Amino acid sequence: MLTMPFLQLEALHFAYPDRGEVVRDVCLQLAPGEIHCLIGRSGCGKTTVLKLAAGLLTPQQGQVQLKGCTVQQPTSDMGFVFQSPTLLHWLSVLDNVLLPHSLHGLVTADQRAHGEQLLAQMGLAALRDDKPQQLSGGQQSRVAIARALITRPAVLFMDEPFAALDAITRDELQRDFLALCHQHGTAVLFVTHDMAEAVYLADQVSLMHAGRIHAPLHIDLPRPRQTAMRYTPVFNALCEQLRHAMDATLS
Amino acid sequence: MKRDAIFATLLGLACLATWEVAVRVGHTSPLVLPAPSVVVRSLWQGLSSGYLWPHIAHTLTEVVLGLLLGASMGFAGGVALGESARLRGMLMPYVVISQVVPKLALAPLFIVWFGFGTLPTVVMTALICFFPLLENTATCVQQVDANKLELFRMLRASPWQTLWRLKLPAGLPNIMAGVRVAAVLAWVGAVVGEFIGASRGLGALIIAAQGSMDTPLMFAVLTVITVCGLAFYKACEGLERYLLNPSSDFSTRTP
Repeated sequence: MLTMPFLQLEALHFAYPDRGEVVRDVCLQLAPGEIHCLIGRSGCGKTTVLKLAAGLLTPQQGQVQLKGCTVQQPTSDMGFVFQSPTLLHWLSVLDNVLLPHSLHGLVTADQRAHGEQLLAQMGLAALRDDKPQQLSGGQQSRVAIARALITRPAVLFMDEPFAALDAITRDELQRDFLALCHQHGTAVLFVTHDMAEAVYLADQVSLMHAGRIHAPLHIDLPRPRQTAMRYTPVFNALCEQLRHAMDATLS
Repeated sequence: MKRDAIFATLLGLACLATWEVAVRVGHTSPLVLPAPSVVVRSLWQGLSSGYLWPHIAHTLTEVVLGLLLGASMGFAGGVALGESARLRGMLMPYVVISQVVPKLALAPLFIVWFGFGTLPTVVMTALICFFPLLENTATCVQQVDANKLELFRMLRASPWQTLWRLKLPAGLPNIMAGVRVAAVLAWVGAVVGEFIGASRGLGALIIAAQGSMDTPLMFAVLTVITVCGLAFYKACEGLERYLLNPSSDFSTRTP
């Protein structure tokens, strides 16, 4: 799976006017179909790196390259899932999923069918005409993921999308999310502060601390990942290894 | 909810009954305070004889014209001020100054400028309806969830699409609250405008009834104004319910 990088973050620096430098010399590479988790404490700059990679922020130094082109603003090859589902409460579930298409013209029958298929894969087929406020938190997160995947993006940026969910819902969502990404061949840059989540989802995990990214840890677990893997000694050993790396970084 | 409505109705009926009994027992002159039954009789006579209808139609026309003019200008101004920080910094102080000036005191000036008749009353009504829409629209256009704005940036939406597909739908409850306030204030503007310099309309009728010491007619006209104001308020609520519950987003329909 790990071939030539098609998303490259090269020596990024970024400072907010009121907070000083929050991203320092960040380098990261993502191969097609790879899932790369960024893990670190709150406020360490993870979300800022994600926004720089997506073109929502412009780095003061360094550059982001996607398929050899410098990223200056979001492109149609990208999808973004925010920490909160950010659904439009006046639209139905299906219309929320179709929003990326409807913003750029009338929705075709194929696009509509794809939206319905994604909802079915997310277990939400029966709720397509409901309003977001009628859904649970987990169901709203599923709709947000379906909306991000509707344009078949090459790379998906995810900012702690499951952080607010209960453990059972989170496990189910992680499983379904992995299946969808595998099916679409989507590369993912995933921000989390949950070590078990990072190990379960990722091919690579990078630790982030005080605006810097430290050497990535390769997660040598077979795909497709099964929920049962979480209870294996190998999985626990990887979590332990990640914890030690984190402790070493912090110290 | 239904129980509250029943209690509210009973409370209103009790107040009217108390009023009726107090006037009859106290032998109050109908010139000072007519009993509700006398007001109802006067109202019925005015409606059945056709005397009130032209005045109602005249005031209604002024209210509708003033509300449409003021609300549409307030909405457009609110969008412009909400979208442009520069415009907001430049124009907002003047907008506030224009609203601090007591608008009812401007009525004599409007008569000088626009003459007697419908126009000064429509302008007065429009001026009163302008600010609630401007303020509410400008506020809701500015205060959109930052994540949703970033989502629209990720989806490469143009500023126009972000306004039309995100800011205005998200701010619709606040905009409609401004419309409700404006719809009620429009009646104040129209009636007060007619007080100053009109020969037709419900405000002019109140002044005429005062001149002929016809207090029951004054109460009857006040009742008509109240009922019309309530009808406008309820119509705005209905419009709000309709707009906030669209069956679907039409732009996503299959061609």
